[in-house]
Amino acid sequence: MVSAALTSDLNLDLCAQEPIRTPGSIQPHGMLVVVDPLNRCIVQASANAKALLGRDRGSSVLGLSLAELVGESAEDQIHGWLANPDSSYLRTLDVNGRRLQVLRHQTPQGIILEFEQPPASEGETLEAYYPRVGRFMEDLPAYENVAELCSAAAREFRQISGFNRVLIYRFDEQWNGEVLAEDGDGVLPSYAGLRFPATDIPAQARELYRLNRLRVIPDANYTPVPMEPSLHPADGKPLDLSFAALRSVSPVHLQYMRNMGTLASMSISVLVDDRLWGLVSCHNATPRRVNAQARTACDLLGKVLSQHIGARDRGAYAARRIDVKRIESELLARIAANDSFQSGLAANANIWLKIADATGAAVLHDDTLFTAGVTPAPDRLRALAEQLQQRTADHFVTDSLVRQWPEFEDIVDVASGVLAISISQLHPSYILWFRPEVQRTVLWAGDPSAARQEENERLTPRHSFASWKERVKNRALPWSQAELDGALEFRNAIINFVLRRAEERAELTSQLQRSNRELESFSYSVSHDLRAPFRHIVGYTQLLRDRERSLSEQSQHYLDSINEAAASAGQLVDDLLAFSQLGRTALSMGPVDMHKVVQEIVRSVEPDVRNRQIEWRIQSLPPATGDAALLRQALFNIIDNALKYSRDRSPAVIEIVGEQRPNESIYIVRDNGVGFDMAYAHKLFGVFQRLHRMEDFAGTGIGLALTQRIVERHGGWIEARGAIDRGAEFRFGIPRQGDNVDG
Amino acid sequence: MADLRPILLVEDNLKDIELTLAALAKCQLANDIVVARDGAEALDYLYCRGQYQDRPPGDPAVVLLDLKLPKVDGLEVLAKLKTDGLTRAVPVVMLTSSREESDLVRSYELGVNAFVVKPVDFNAFFEAIQGLGMFWGVLNETPPRSVPAPRLERKT
Repeated sequence: MVSAALTSDLNLDLCAQEPIRTPGSIQPHGMLVVVDPLNRCIVQASANAKALLGRDRGSSVLGLSLAELVGESAEDQIHGWLANPDSSYLRTLDVNGRRLQVLRHQTPQGIILEFEQPPASEGETLEAYYPRVGRFMEDLPAYENVAELCSAAAREFRQISGFNRVLIYRFDEQWNGEVLAEDGDGVLPSYAGLRFPATDIPAQARELYRLNRLRVIPDANYTPVPMEPSLHPADGKPLDLSFAALRSVSPVHLQYMRNMGTLASMSISVLVDDRLWGLVSCHNATPRRVNAQARTACDLLGKVLSQHIGARDRGAYAARRIDVKRIESELLARIAANDSFQSGLAANANIWLKIADATGAAVLHDDTLFTAGVTPAPDRLRALAEQLQQRTADHFVTDSLVRQWPEFEDIVDVASGVLAISISQLHPSYILWFRPEVQRTVLWAGDPSAARQEENERLTPRHSFASWKERVKNRALPWSQAELDGALEFRNAIINFVLRRAEERAELTSQLQRSNRELESFSYSVSHDLRAPFRHIVGYTQLLRDRERSLSEQSQHYLDSINEAAASAGQLVDDLLAFSQLGRTALSMGPVDMHKVVQEIVRSVEPDVRNRQIEWRIQSLPPATGDAALLRQALFNIIDNALKYSRDRSPAVIEIVGEQRPNESIYIVRDNGVGFDMAYAHKLFGVFQRLHRMEDFAGTGIGLALTQRIVERHGGWIEARGAIDRGAEFRFGIPRQGDNVDG
Repeated sequence: MADLRPILLVEDNLKDIELTLAALAKCQLANDIVVARDGAEALDYLYCRGQYQDRPPGDPAVVLLDLKLPKVDGLEVLAKLKTDGLTRAVPVVMLTSSREESDLVRSYELGVNAFVVKPVDFNAFFEAIQGLGMFWGVLNETPPRSVPAPRLERKT
């Protein structure tokens, strides 16, 4: 409570906990009574309320009816006024022979009536203020910016209130107040351009300022008048004076005023969208009363100022939003033409940066990283994304990254300001914009860090209001609401884009699966129906030959040709089917003794080359991991090739060697045959590609394609070297571990 | 020496029938060759019903079964024979044009005794057929013939 607080070490933290809404006392420049709304009797009153009664009435007002307190005629007027709650807040009434200004408001604890003796200097009537306020309103659109607007408003507030100095200041995001405008008569020092630290006005006081827009303290040296009884008789609680004009303020605040050299003050809240945007703060060096009419005019002026600032803010927001939206549409149109949104962003770096008016941007998605402009290094970007992933929010915005996470001190120069949007809930995927550190000098009205340190001194909060310079570090220009909202909208657009792409991919996959199934059933039919006729042709030619022993040589030749043609066509079908099946059959992986495989192949081909002179040079071969049958097929095709193209050599030299490398096993087959022109090397592995005439070297042209397919399905590689008439060399590598295999 | 039971050739293609018969004739097998033109007819023969209800009782020495058949296909015939305790012992050789691995796997799953892809080359084809005829028709011993009576009562 107040009395206790006066005797203890005061500081702003204490002030933050003070019961400012229920101080239990009022300022002495008026009287306050609480009327029971049902029986119209006084249930609580300030200790000075008996003065209302005039000279020769009782010593207490408690229990009196309102009529008994203020007289029949005043009671009548108050009664009519209470019945019509829309009417004005203020009346000047004749109360027992005194002209008093009466304010009333309703609370759950009763009707609170406040009576104030008008100041000696009556001042202008309320009507007299209207032309002034009217002119001010007419001039409003002409002001270029909020600072100009506030300067004009400050002049107006001072003219109406007559205080020595009027400050208009705006709160920043941290509730520090920055003085935007000042008007004064030179009696009090200028505070123009200074800042008040956030600690000057505790959160609960700010909330009260939001609810009750106008406060007056005519004399900082006042003696509070206690409420009697101190607790409300019905609910046993102190009276809630949140909306009372006479509410007594915190002694800390009074000390603050004395330190500032201001013995009287009036402050008016500026609310934008129901948020406390700033304050109009009027000060006087000496005690000063402001009549109720002037206060009402100032209240009206405050509302006009609030609305105009709000309209300007909304206008600026809308203009920026439209701007962002236009840039965003252009960017999205360009992204749509790209394979992925990341590459779309990267390809349109300037527009990407412009969306958030940033100097750097990055996108992290699917393990890919693209950047534009000036950004932190990739590892720092990934570290930042990991940090962001700890949070579940869909966006992150700061104008001082190190204040949030000190470990990013190394990137303040490029990334003090960070605006990030999350584009996946599962993975750390983000689009980020960066703004560099902008160092500036801020003038404080008093050292903001000292405000918390002077605990040993009684005269807190402030001795000196001399400006104190602070260099603001690690700060970027703040992101505007329009930019943040634009980024969030962009986030939705990107997520839609990603989802649409995913759907398209799924659609494509199902199409591929369908056509794959069609292909399978096609080759199934081929394997049955296309082979049969060739088999029949071969069979019937044979039967005919067996039957007709006396065929002419020519007829015999024709039969042989029919036989050969059908047999090779059948072989072609078989090879094609083997090739197509290879893509569909699962590999059966295991260790393969390649040396044994080669020996077995050599044994199997030997009957066919009985009449040839062949010199096999086979070294010990390293083992492989793979499908034994397929690897045999791959090697067989190469060895068969080597034999075929070296058939004119005597001896044909076939060399088969291997090499064990850390990650793969390599197999090499060389021959001394007709070789090939390296210019056509790329065609060797194509299906049906032949580098020799059919009559020179028979074959379907599928063998090497099959070999390549086998090697690639094992995750390996194959290459060929050769020169015409100087032999050929085929080498292929198979990974030692089976991890790169497509199963 | 096995007694000479007939060989059941299940094949829809007339040319394949002719060539297969020619190949079997070449190796001068004494076995009768019964030709069924589709899976349903093959089952009729095996279960002595329809046009075969009056045939002499007894299982064939071997069923040479084509895969692609009208009405009831080769895999269905195979499944039927190999899941029926009375016919399970009848040797079945798939004789087909198909190189499809899935057919091969499925056939063995169903309990086929052999799976032969008909070679295009006629000599090879002849050799295959002759080998099959000789092995299954002559050399291979099958379990004693079942009593026909219970089979007649069977409902299929």
